[in-house]
Amino acid sequence: MASIEEIIRRVYKALEDEEFQEALWKASLGSEVRVPRILQNYEYIRELAREVTEARKKSIDRLDELIEELKDSARKTGVKLFLADTAEDAREYIGGIIGKGKLVVLSKSMVAEEIGLREYLEEKGNEVWETDLGQLLIQLEGSKPMHTIAPAVHMTVERAARLVREKLGLEIPDNPRPEDIVAEVRRFLREKFTNADYGISGANAIAADTAAVVLVENEGNIRLVTGLPPSHIIVAGMEKIVETLELAVKQAMVQAAYASIYPPTYINIIAGPSSTADIEHTRVYGAHGPREVHLVLVDNGRMKARETPLRDQLRCIRCGRCQWECPVWRHTANIWGGPTYGGPMGINWTGITLGVEEAGPLTLLCLQCRRCDVVCPVEIPISRIIHWLRRQYMDRLLLS
Amino acid sequence: MVLNVREILLLMAEETEKNGIPLPINPRVITEWAEGLGLPEKGDTLLYTGGLYQLMPYINALVKYLEVLESRPSGGFLLKAARKLGLTGLAGAIAKPDRREVEYSHKVLRAIVKLLQSAGVEFAYNPSADGYSGVLLYDMGLDNVFRRHAVRVYESLKKAGARRIITIDPHTTFIMEKVYPEYVKGFDIEVVNYLRLLREKGYKPSGNGGRVVIHDPCLYARELGIIEEPRKLLADAGYEILEPRRSGRMTYCCGGPVESIAPRLSRKIASMRARELSEKGRRVVTLCPICLANLSRAGEKLEINDISLYLSGEA
Repeated sequence: MASIEEIIRRVYKALEDEEFQEALWKASLGSEVRVPRILQNYEYIRELAREVTEARKKSIDRLDELIEELKDSARKTGVKLFLADTAEDAREYIGGIIGKGKLVVLSKSMVAEEIGLREYLEEKGNEVWETDLGQLLIQLEGSKPMHTIAPAVHMTVERAARLVREKLGLEIPDNPRPEDIVAEVRRFLREKFTNADYGISGANAIAADTAAVVLVENEGNIRLVTGLPPSHIIVAGMEKIVETLELAVKQAMVQAAYASIYPPTYINIIAGPSSTADIEHTRVYGAHGPREVHLVLVDNGRMKARETPLRDQLRCIRCGRCQWECPVWRHTANIWGGPTYGGPMGINWTGITLGVEEAGPLTLLCLQCRRCDVVCPVEIPISRIIHWLRRQYMDRLLLS
Repeated sequence: MVLNVREILLLMAEETEKNGIPLPINPRVITEWAEGLGLPEKGDTLLYTGGLYQLMPYINALVKYLEVLESRPSGGFLLKAARKLGLTGLAGAIAKPDRREVEYSHKVLRAIVKLLQSAGVEFAYNPSADGYSGVLLYDMGLDNVFRRHAVRVYESLKKAGARRIITIDPHTTFIMEKVYPEYVKGFDIEVVNYLRLLREKGYKPSGNGGRVVIHDPCLYARELGIIEEPRKLLADAGYEILEPRRSGRMTYCCGGPVESIAPRLSRKIASMRARELSEKGRRVVTLCPICLANLSRAGEKLEINDISLYLSGEA
């Protein structure tokens, strides 16, 4: 657990890192104008956000029932469902499926980060590659994602070029352009995609009625991760379940819009393994896509969080808007907010997944300025929850 | 070196329990501004300052002291010793604020009184019922200390016969209007912010005119919805209002709330905001004593003044 003094020390170090501050400055300028523009150009998004907010509230209320419904639909669609109580349970289950000596491709998943999946699979003797460019850079740097949807937001193009040169041996010219890095990484990962034994993805939303998952992206790596390998493993938080596929798609659209990428280039819907019945009406699994699809639902504190004010945070669709808009995050990125998640929502997710002790000291750097509350598309009172965590923590800090 | 946060919080908590304000200074600093003004002491509408304007010079002195500590390797230890032994370094530093800042806070309070009087608001000021509201305790999550303090404040207000109080800054307004009812059983005092009151009275202030950049405080903008009132008052007083890049409901924080825990971070945020304000103009209007202190500290060449001074023609 990091003490408040340790947290301040890390923040001060980030304040002094000029490259870090410069990259963050450039990135945050754009994001602030893009979302309002999207909301202006696509008027239905606000209405969708309201609908999704209500749907999220309802699904958190009905979570136990929806899990039962999901079990049923998973059986019908041929999705192998596993409910993991803890991060350890989830890791071990996935580790059990994959074994060792395999090639694994991952698309960016914060829940995979939360349970330490990549490191775990590597330790077991697998070759594991992140395929989202930003997340790959994080893997190479050995750090953590610095924003929910823009993990390498703290890196300048020079820093990124240095990393892929040194760690992957790719040839990137001097005075690199982003295009140079993208092209080389594309070439490098192609072969990993085609030879991978397992593809692991997260999920933006899971539909209880169909066991379908919805995934939104721009790069196209999710299509490959979930389409090319013979096996697809989905790892997601339990709170991602909504009642219907219709709502799941709407949720993904809202997430993309508030993450300032609209229209998203791709929205993927995956309901079970690939199959064909073209020969004599006999169903055969694994036509071109995966033969098997696993869905690992992670609890890791979520169900228990429903009994506290953290309940509202479970509504989060992980768009990362509260991070861009936070005056503290603007200087620290995810250096502040917890070991996996970061910024305003990150503090609360740290509370959900690791408890008050871990989240408590982080709350002391929150300004309580409430910008996060105002910009959250699903109306989570983020700063109020942070204040609640702070009160729990203070009680203990001053009594000790 | 970073500061020992627990020590700072304990200092605030202990001092508030002991003498009603979060710093080791004489509580008279809260009420001395009104001496000699001849304000009536009895009435059912009381001016309740909450003490934030008056405390800011002392908080500034504390932050300056903490910034020095932060730059030293032994700062955390010194702070602990200072609290435990009541050492002179800390108390001495706080007890000697910048006199100009103290005078400034008195000027603001007197300007507010004048505005209320000119608007025809009937109110009294009872020094024994005025005092610190406990905002920092609540903000920092020191729930039990805050609750005890709030009950004491409420009792002294009731004893003075208050049925309605007039508040003058965003933090005190928020805490009295929204938090006290949650923490103090049977809280039944009506809370009205003075800017709202001036508008309700249809008061037309007169100022010196010119262009001013407005910096909305977070709590007025996002918690209390006081956005139009200051703009209308300033416009009526003859000012042309310039809106910074982030204003109104989306206003940007001055960094003040973390000033005593992470002064360097606080200053960074303040600088960013000050730069943003300076892009629009040099004359800045603040509506909160914490914003005033922090933006002034940020070092931009800005002429920052409280709204009350603009509205009374003193800025």
